[in-house]
Amino acid sequence: MCDQKTRLATVLLAAAVFSPNLRAQTAGPSADAKKQDAQSSANAPDFSGAWAVVGGSPSWDPSDPRGAKPEELSMTPWAMARFKAARPPFGANATFDNTNDAVQKYCDPPGITRLYSYPWQFKLIQTPDMVYILFEFTGVWRPVALNRDHPKDPDSTWMGDSIGRYEGDTLVVDTVGFNDKTWIDQVGHPHSDALHLIERFRRVDQDTLQVSVTFEDPKAYTKSFTGKKVFKLSHSPMEVTLCSLSEMQSFQDEVMKPTTDSLHK
Amino acid sequence: MRSKRFVALHVSVVFLVAASAAFAHHGTSGYDMEKVVTLKGTVTSFNWTNPHCVVLMDVKDGQGEVKNWIIELGAPTILSRMGWSRDSLKPGDEVVAETHPAKNGATNGLSGASTTLLKFVVNGHPLAFR
Repeated sequence: MCDQKTRLATVLLAAAVFSPNLRAQTAGPSADAKKQDAQSSANAPDFSGAWAVVGGSPSWDPSDPRGAKPEELSMTPWAMARFKAARPPFGANATFDNTNDAVQKYCDPPGITRLYSYPWQFKLIQTPDMVYILFEFTGVWRPVALNRDHPKDPDSTWMGDSIGRYEGDTLVVDTVGFNDKTWIDQVGHPHSDALHLIERFRRVDQDTLQVSVTFEDPKAYTKSFTGKKVFKLSHSPMEVTLCSLSEMQSFQDEVMKPTTDSLHK
Repeated sequence: MRSKRFVALHVSVVFLVAASAAFAHHGTSGYDMEKVVTLKGTVTSFNWTNPHCVVLMDVKDGQGEVKNWIIELGAPTILSRMGWSRDSLKPGDEVVAETHPAKNGATNGLSGASTTLLKFVVNGHPLAFR
């Protein structure tokens, strides 16, 4: 049954990736969007290749990429309470002990911006109507529609609703419609369902991709901020690293737990 | 899981000036990233699996007691890109391995993650490291 589901998912993804006629069902393209789409398709920059993170800074805070002072990001009281409750893997509050990181505990989806912090590759597949971003870690992917607006009242989902456009050599992706179950980074910064992301993908040179992300989330942050990460062209083929809950639990019990066992302290 | 096999005695410690940039999915807070321990022992198991590959090896400590160490490495996709494979280690291999030891004194260590892989010498032959 799982094999059947896997095959079906593969077929659907392949159809989505390679069909130039696929159209989003949620909203029709505006005249401006159609015009933009036509311009974009003719002059789209090339983002082909697999991209691997350089360095691996765990936070998107431009003034604190290592997460040494994560509490200094301008959080609302609501967000600060969530941040203080977080037991993340990196930054000043990093801990192995009794983590509540939902990726580690439940194999929950990491969320869009946190995915860029893992040491696995991602890939952009560009079609005239859509860009698909495929992530090795957990095997998730996200669609970016190039020819429509956001739905007026999008569902709240793990990956949100993404629309994109080309601006010269840059792909600009605008995403809304998130749930509030993920952290935006590896140091435990939360976000709300009002999160609005603006991602800018730019191939600085043949081997370098820069991704800058502007976070706007008035429920969680008192002002917007923009962080950047740099990725290098990888010559390794894309693979999949799934998050298996059984494997994760075995690893935590057999490998991580001894390092937090108080008997050893 | 932790078998007791004879191993040669050798544990040495080196203190690093700066912590390595190891980047495991769960972080490194359980390990002393400013310290590197060199272990000499015998592999009892090599698990080539997600989320991290794991080497189990028997090492004789300073009192002559054999302890089974759990050495954490990167995920299979990460390790394979560094030149390792599921056959890089097998039970019975004599290994000299560097590792960042657990802070709490447990016989656990972190030897590799996304961008770093400490030195492993297997039966006299070094594996790829960076």
